[in-house]
Amino acid sequence: MTMSSVLTKQSVYGAQFSAILDRLPGHGLVWVDRLRKRAMEQFLDLGFPTTRLENWKYTDVSPIRRIAFQPIVDRVSPPLPETLRLQIEAYAAPRLVFVNGKMDPELSRRTPLPLLSLSEALGDPEHARVVEAHLGQYISSSDAAFAAWNTAFFTDGAFVLIPRGLAVERPVNLVFVSIETGEPRACHPRNLVIAREGSQVTFVEVFLGAGAYLTNAVTEIIAEPGAVIDYYKIEGESARGFHTAAVKAHLDRDASLTSRSISFGGALVRNDLNVALDGEGSHCTLNGLFAAGSGRLVDNHTHIDHRKPHASSRELYKGLLAGDATGVFNGAITVREDAQKADAVQHSKNLLLSERAQINTKPQFEIRANDVRCVHGATVGQIDEDAIFYLKSRGVGEDEASRILIRAFAAEILDDLRVPALRDQMERLFEDWMNCSGRL
Amino acid sequence: MLRIRNLFASIDGKQILRGLNLDVHAGEVHAIMGPNGSGKSTLAQVLAGRDIYEVVADELTFDGRNLLAMPPEIRAREGIFLAFQYPIEIPGVSNLYFLRSAVNAVRAHRGLPELDAVDFMSLAKEQAAGLGIDDAMLKRSLNEGFSGGEKKRNEILQLKLLDPRLAILDETDSGLDIDALKIVADGINAMRSPERAIIVVTHYQRLLNYVVPDHVHVLVGGRIMRSGGKELALELEHRGYSWLEAEQKAVA
Repeated sequence: MTMSSVLTKQSVYGAQFSAILDRLPGHGLVWVDRLRKRAMEQFLDLGFPTTRLENWKYTDVSPIRRIAFQPIVDRVSPPLPETLRLQIEAYAAPRLVFVNGKMDPELSRRTPLPLLSLSEALGDPEHARVVEAHLGQYISSSDAAFAAWNTAFFTDGAFVLIPRGLAVERPVNLVFVSIETGEPRACHPRNLVIAREGSQVTFVEVFLGAGAYLTNAVTEIIAEPGAVIDYYKIEGESARGFHTAAVKAHLDRDASLTSRSISFGGALVRNDLNVALDGEGSHCTLNGLFAAGSGRLVDNHTHIDHRKPHASSRELYKGLLAGDATGVFNGAITVREDAQKADAVQHSKNLLLSERAQINTKPQFEIRANDVRCVHGATVGQIDEDAIFYLKSRGVGEDEASRILIRAFAAEILDDLRVPALRDQMERLFEDWMNCSGRL
Repeated sequence: MLRIRNLFASIDGKQILRGLNLDVHAGEVHAIMGPNGSGKSTLAQVLAGRDIYEVVADELTFDGRNLLAMPPEIRAREGIFLAFQYPIEIPGVSNLYFLRSAVNAVRAHRGLPELDAVDFMSLAKEQAAGLGIDDAMLKRSLNEGFSGGEKKRNEILQLKLLDPRLAILDETDSGLDIDALKIVADGINAMRSPERAIIVVTHYQRLLNYVVPDHVHVLVGGRIMRSGGKELALELEHRGYSWLEAEQKAVA
């Protein structure tokens, strides 16, 4: 890869940006245009990350870099494959559905909840002021080219604002569908979730698709003091889909975030999840399950930043790699000077289902306070032959025995999904995964 | 039912069974005794189909069918059951789910309809009650965190649910206190029937006070050195194994 071709490819996006800026949501609001332009400059400056960067050491994005993705500006409604329609219907109201970057009102199930699309929020002066206060404040575009690209190009996404003290019972479902339409396109969903003081909400992001495309999402989560957020991310992109996503959560005093991330699909997947524990007594639990078969790469990078005292974090990521799949888990934890009594526990557990599969798992701790507890552990194993024999000796066939053990490995994450309909859906997807990718 | 002629088994080049012969008929209870390292557990594992052993025999048949050509799951479905000396812990798989998968695999092989979760639950509860296994233990992960006694009782529960024709019990008495031993022995005795054969593999005579064998064999150095009735077990209890080991060395 020569420098000049990098520049050429990016200049494609520069030209695209100039051509579509005045048709993107929020255009005309000075701060939005400025935010987008600054992000575009950063994206062009940074270029796509290369494996020379420590954070991208194991993840080569050249398959993405090689394609000149077309932007999406206007709403197009390609025919929706029946399998996708069924998957969408698995997520109940309230639900916002975005197809190729734009909200689809027919597929969405809206309720009186302040559940708007981001473009709608930008069109309303009162909401726009709230968006202005937060959008792009937590993603630092300077170190994330993909996030900068999103900030420049985002077409829509969800704006979820939970009022002070309100506990929302039903999960808020946000479904993002990408469908290949002739030429490769990039979708840039952008979500902003704000839980006001003492509120409580569960929200679910679901990524689906058909064909080849790139979904490059950014989600910013703000938990005000005492807010409790349950966040689910279901990444079920198509086998030829690329998925890059940056999630940045900012937690105030006594706020709590539980993130459960499930990755089943996609040819190349990079999940970045960054949590700033920026209030005393704040807590996050980050759980993840990623499963990949032949020809796929799934990369999970998390960063937990303990900024204030008495904050705690729990993290468990489990990787299942089959065929020649590659998995990456990089768990960074920073404890700042002031963050005394930090309590951080991190585990990465991985199961390799073939000799060709590989996992790169790495804890990355930077501790600058002295009164802290930080624990981490990483394991990489294979299916236990003793357990297989035990099951077979009871009449269970070879295939079924492996399935039972693979399912058992995932149990810690799957059985902990608190939304029953979601758990059932994940159970089905996991079965599908074992039937297809799990054996390749 | 089971016919073994000149059975050899080795692992990693180490010979463990060296020309073992044994006949077991329906309705019989056989005890296989012997010192540590004599090959008792290897025999049990080889009969169940463990593939880590290199196995050669002039004959190894179950109802006239060659066992060496059968993978372990087929042996199980055909009616061979091994109660493990060290049952495997499998976190994330509920005991009940495991038991139902096993029972349904065996039922399917026998041409019986699958049991659904509800029917199976009542069957499992009924059989579990007699072994002092409660609902909580059925719902826990398979053997995970079970005490030694709980694991052995869970093996007997599987024995009862799978209803095999040949049951091999590998050191099922080890690590049991007297109360648990009685529960396990009652469970085994309840399984005695004219259609079924039972092989009890044990180091000690203790279990044989409760499960009285028809035949006792002493395994030394990978070969059966002596066979007799239940009184042979008592003789071993008094004299230990050293006299037979000495005899075996003399022969070798």
